[in-house]
Amino acid sequence: MKTNMNNRLAYGLMSPMLIYLIAIMVLPFGWAVYLSFTNKVVGAPAVFTGLNNYIDLLQDSLFWKTVWNTLLFTAVAVIFKTVFGMVMALVLNENIVFRNVFRVLLFLPWTIPTIVSVFTWQWIYSDVGGVLNFLLLKAHLISEPVGWLATPALAMFSVILVNVWRGIPFMGIAILAGLQTLPKEMYEAAMLDGAGAVKRFIYMTLPSVKEVTVLAAVMTTIWTLNDFEIIWLLTRGGPSNGTQVVSTLSYTIGFLNLSLGKAIAIAVLTMPPLIMLINFVTKRSLSSND
Amino acid sequence: MEKNAIGKQIVVYATLAVLLVFALFPLYWMFNTSFKSNGEIYNMTPTFWPKDFTAIAYEKLLTEKNFLVNIKNSLVVSLIVAFVSIIVSMLAAYAISKLRFRGRKLISRGILYAYLMPRAVLFIPLYMLVSSIGLNNSIYGLMLIYPTITIPYATWMLISYFKSIPAEIEEAAMIDGCSRARTMLSIIFPLAAPGIAATFIFAFTLCWSEYLYALVVVTKGADKTITLGLSDMIVGDVFAWGPLMGGSIIASIPVIIMYLFTSKYMVSGMTVGGVK
Repeated sequence: MKTNMNNRLAYGLMSPMLIYLIAIMVLPFGWAVYLSFTNKVVGAPAVFTGLNNYIDLLQDSLFWKTVWNTLLFTAVAVIFKTVFGMVMALVLNENIVFRNVFRVLLFLPWTIPTIVSVFTWQWIYSDVGGVLNFLLLKAHLISEPVGWLATPALAMFSVILVNVWRGIPFMGIAILAGLQTLPKEMYEAAMLDGAGAVKRFIYMTLPSVKEVTVLAAVMTTIWTLNDFEIIWLLTRGGPSNGTQVVSTLSYTIGFLNLSLGKAIAIAVLTMPPLIMLINFVTKRSLSSND
Repeated sequence: MEKNAIGKQIVVYATLAVLLVFALFPLYWMFNTSFKSNGEIYNMTPTFWPKDFTAIAYEKLLTEKNFLVNIKNSLVVSLIVAFVSIIVSMLAAYAISKLRFRGRKLISRGILYAYLMPRAVLFIPLYMLVSSIGLNNSIYGLMLIYPTITIPYATWMLISYFKSIPAEIEEAAMIDGCSRARTMLSIIFPLAAPGIAATFIFAFTLCWSEYLYALVVVTKGADKTITLGLSDMIVGDVFAWGPLMGGSIIASIPVIIMYLFTSKYMVSGMTVGGVK
């Protein structure tokens, strides 16, 4: 009797959310998956074409190049964000003056709108009056201005740098939260036993923040795999598709070539790895939030 | 031992300095540029502080362009979406955190799924939904779809805030004869007020900073949001860096201020309750 009432009350309270999410998220997504099996273009009715979109994509060398770019972009960016996030957390965990002020300042890149950080970096990279070239020339590290977005390799480096700049604070703050749960006494005991800083880091710090670091890194991976704004606004996927990733290709095919069906097929193809990553996060977070 | 400690201090502060320069230089550069005259901006030798401090970029921004309209649109959309999302999420989060019912695990998992589902996957379905009911090219279209970002996020946040309120408080009230609805409204929600406020602010900033959905849904000038207004300032290969940096400052100020008020809630917010 009591459970029955609880059931009714619970679903009553949740109904606005459930109705909204099903109507606006789940059903349109299902409809879109159906359209990926059609030749749907903007402004015309869809005709069922089976697996054509998928076969087209899998035979398209540009698609595979895009997959490779996405993996490269994500792997490099996540590694750097994790390493520098760890460094940021370790520094902020020390007994430093104005620690809270520094924590807030180091966090700022994550808070400002992505588009703002992209434009700022674009201006820094600029080959006309850009400050990065100016500083590197002054320091004699380069002998002539570099077109940071002009060649595929440099453009890839430049978009990764912006992504890393934005993403370090998230990793840093998450790892810091893990570090702060460690008992200080443990370190003192280890220090008395003569364990050096490197040893303490490898055998004590690292294992105890492993869990939170992995969780934050996987969440970061999900976001980085699907980064659109940084790459679209900086390079539009160019030059010569050198920074074309899955999200920008999907946008280009859907909204510039107007082939919605094919664009959705791209998104659908990215779902299996995405679902694996999301599953990983939900499992870990639910067990700790239950 | 003593020498070691000093050496360690040097390493720590040096690393901190490098991190600070890397994190803050772009922000400083944005600020610096926004107060320069055009001539100074395009000088081949950049100046590290404006020679003559001028607000001309801001003046241009607020008089010549539609920027004020963009700001207003973003404010309206973000406030309404954040407000509605928080109400819907409070009710759902209360049920999930405080009631035992069939399907609870499945639903909390679904919410986390919805939260983590990237926009790059959802933007086409949502665009088609909005255009099929004729709400494309309007901020109403954005109001319809932005809660797909904010509701799962806010619900997930609020579940952990509500869970941190001890069950005994609620039980005591119910023994005293309070109904479920009463305890929810007059005990749980007020106790969780700081968390609710923080979640509202985060929901607001998510909408305020959103670009991809706005890009595909709104193409008409009068309904463009602040992020679209900024990207419209680039015409072809011509970058008006002064107004662009000024606009960037204006777009950043509200989120930075809000963040300063809520920074202590940020940690639990970001890691979806994984750090406990």
